[in-house]
Amino acid sequence: MGRDIVALDDLTVNNVGTFQKINEVVLPSRYDAAWYQEAVTPGQITKLAFYAEIPVGAIKARAFNNTHKISSLESLLRFQLPSKNIPNAIYIESFAVLEKYRGLGIGSKLLNYVIEETKSRFIHEIYIHVHVDNKEAIEWYLKKGFVKKDEVIKDYYKSLEIPNPDAYIMTLAV
Amino acid sequence: MVTKKASPIFASKEDSNFREALKLYDAKQYKKALKLVEGNLKKHSHHAESLALKGCITFHIGAKQDAEPYILKAVEKEPTNYLVNHLAGLYYRSVEDYHKAAKWLKAANDNGSPNKPILRDLSFMQSQIRDYKNLKESRQLYLEHQPGYRANWTGLAVAQHLNKEYHAAVSTLDKIENIIKEHLTDADMYEQSECVLYKHQILSEAGDYERALKALENDKDSIKDMLSYMEYKAKYLLLLGQKKEASLIYRELLKRNPDNISYYPLLETALDTTSKPEELRLKLYEKLGRYYPRSDPPKFIPLTFLSSEGDLFAKKARDYIIPQLLRGVPATFVNVKPLYLNPKKSQVIEEIVLDFYQHDLPKLENPTVAVWTEYFLAQHYLYKNDLDSADKHIDLALEHTPTLVELYIVKARIIKHRGDYVKASEVMDEGRKLDLQDRFINSKTTKYLLRANKVNEAIDCISLFTKLDEDAINGCKDLHTMQVSWVLVESAEAYTRLYHEYQAKLNELRNCEAEENEELTQELLENIETYRGLALKRFTSIVKLYKIFYNDQYDFHSYCMRRGTPRDYIDTLRWEDKIHSTPIYTRALKGLSELYFELYSESLNDNEESSQEVKIKKTNKKQKKAKAQMNKKKTEFIARVESEKEDADPLGAKLLHDLQNSDVIEALFELFKSLIEEGKDLELTWKVLFKVYLIQGKYVLALQAVKNLNKVLNPYGEKKLREIGSRVVELATTSKNDDKANAAIVKVVEKGLHSAFPEFEQLSTDEFLELYNQ
Repeated sequence: MGRDIVALDDLTVNNVGTFQKINEVVLPSRYDAAWYQEAVTPGQITKLAFYAEIPVGAIKARAFNNTHKISSLESLLRFQLPSKNIPNAIYIESFAVLEKYRGLGIGSKLLNYVIEETKSRFIHEIYIHVHVDNKEAIEWYLKKGFVKKDEVIKDYYKSLEIPNPDAYIMTLAV
Repeated sequence: MVTKKASPIFASKEDSNFREALKLYDAKQYKKALKLVEGNLKKHSHHAESLALKGCITFHIGAKQDAEPYILKAVEKEPTNYLVNHLAGLYYRSVEDYHKAAKWLKAANDNGSPNKPILRDLSFMQSQIRDYKNLKESRQLYLEHQPGYRANWTGLAVAQHLNKEYHAAVSTLDKIENIIKEHLTDADMYEQSECVLYKHQILSEAGDYERALKALENDKDSIKDMLSYMEYKAKYLLLLGQKKEASLIYRELLKRNPDNISYYPLLETALDTTSKPEELRLKLYEKLGRYYPRSDPPKFIPLTFLSSEGDLFAKKARDYIIPQLLRGVPATFVNVKPLYLNPKKSQVIEEIVLDFYQHDLPKLENPTVAVWTEYFLAQHYLYKNDLDSADKHIDLALEHTPTLVELYIVKARIIKHRGDYVKASEVMDEGRKLDLQDRFINSKTTKYLLRANKVNEAIDCISLFTKLDEDAINGCKDLHTMQVSWVLVESAEAYTRLYHEYQAKLNELRNCEAEENEELTQELLENIETYRGLALKRFTSIVKLYKIFYNDQYDFHSYCMRRGTPRDYIDTLRWEDKIHSTPIYTRALKGLSELYFELYSESLNDNEESSQEVKIKKTNKKQKKAKAQMNKKKTEFIARVESEKEDADPLGAKLLHDLQNSDVIEALFELFKSLIEEGKDLELTWKVLFKVYLIQGKYVLALQAVKNLNKVLNPYGEKKLREIGSRVVELATTSKNDDKANAAIVKVVEKGLHSAFPEFEQLSTDEFLELYNQ
């Protein structure tokens, strides 16, 4: 009792299946096994969110250098950090909360975690791709202080075969 | 071991050699001892003592199967030599043949051995074989030899108790209590308390409550276990009719533990409310509920006695269920399930939850309530076997919160009820992957995989939770070491299904194809052999496990006396007395009996069998390369199914072969022997024994079996069951058509059938079978 009904916990080898389930149910993007495997290696910026002890949300982010252009979802899955470039941004790779559990502060808590991680690495920018048709998400990010860049990444989501596969880039200065 | 004076056979040198050898044997210097003994035997090959000792030594360092002939020879030569007797006793104890061990140890003592500790060893054997009559004597004699230890007094009291000599047992305990009273140190107080409480257990079993109550008050100071003290006291008071006093103690007990559901009905008995109107009883529980607001029983028990017709039940059920749904208690359905025995109550509960689901749920903010309510309804409809509604609710729940492991379990259960075991195991596995460290769903998945006959996957699944030895592929060996009997019995059943499946395929192949496909036939034959062997092996491993369970009590015959825990000791003995009728063991026996009967009918059909074997050889020679490949596959397969390190018979092939070459029916009888007493209330016992006796031509016993079966299936004697009728007819015809049977016996059986089933005499067989068709 007295515990917050929303809580965050680490991602481990044992609950990575839950992480995958949440992503698969909520996001149109598909991530491969290697990506999930990497998610449980030490030093990752990942968390699971629990509501009343039920896992309902998850986030994964990583540090990268924003001169490196990400032109499609596949390249995101494959990209290796160019070692010469010191990371200057945190890129959110996946961020999902089960539909029925939205509006309960779960997303904010996950985002706050990433913001704290960003600060602790002396980085000042958070960076994310959003599907152009995903009004709900865009609005949410704007509300959280993100700024929508003017450029549109053409065919970012092409591999998913969805209508309008373009993406916006949104950033948050911290 | 105490040596005996020189026997006449030997001059002093040999005799001293023997004594020296005995000393060495006691010091576990087996090789040196053997040298001396063999020297003796060279001179005089019939020296019984040396022979016996050689047997014992051979057991320890030589080939174990070579040992017994020496022992047998020795006791044949000098059956009254107590040294020989003693050595024989020790040998049989080592091989865990406690009957023979008891026999020879008793002989050693009767033949005048001065070695008193034999009596103690003897008493362990007698406890092990439940020879209580003689146990009392040996405990008594040993106590006379060593009266200075409390353990020996306790031992005698236990023996008297087991002989139902309650007063003698109590007086033995009283005696030692009085002797020891002045000398107790703090360290003895626990033992003292346990022994005193043991005395009460005996007194209450004897039914002398008045004396028991008085003694309890006298001994109050030495009792440490206050819970037992209070429980005994309340029980005595209740049985003596002092209900007011009893009720006070039950209230006291409730204060200690308000979650112990068994106190509530006892309190009601003491208060005489059980036959009072339900409103009054409800008041009692409402009051108790105010005292213990966090306890479940005061809220739940009224639901069991309130009438399903009245509004009170509906109101109270609502008060019970809805808060649990709001709080998200996963076990809400399990909590109310006992009420479902009454279909009307289940109906009322359905209405309550549906009302909540339709009217209150949409207004709630917390999304988890919706999941738990769907979860409840899914289980509710599953219980009612309305699978479509159950599916509807569980699918809604899964859509709502696909990360909740519990939902997958119910979904898989629903699919299982539809009969699709493979799909069910897949759904269960999907849930398991959400949380690999959830041991419950891991076990469930293992079970479902086994039900779907996917044995390898199942073992791999549960291997996440077993110890993995170096270079072990899976945890199969550890599952045997850790005695995971449910996995063993489920895999045995899976192997049986697999073997039947392949057999059916083979029959199909033989029936529909004019030209036999040799390769396929060969493969099927091998699969049949393998899976049948494995099924037999897994079932047999259960039988072995229970043998270990039984043998393991051996240490407690001395340990519990020394530690002063006779109450737990008695409980252990009583539990061991009925382990052969426990569910897993009887399931294994059921599986074995089916396998054995199949083997028996095959043995009647010898020709076919031999033709099969020839075929295996022929194809084996044909393709060497394929064979090599298959061997490799086989080695891998064996590594997966080995039950112990360097398993000599990993596939159970030898087990199967040995069985085929022995009297299968007699072997089956041996397995069921312990059930004649322990499992006399089980249908399985009498069904199998009936068939066994019938095959063996023991018709009188078969008659007894069918009568016992009728008693089990039909305890009130009002039913005419088809299962009985057909067996009656079968017995009558088989015995009559048996030319070898003794005519008098056949007559006895007929008479017995007529007196037990009078209609059988009055009606024709057809009419009789028509009557017995329930």
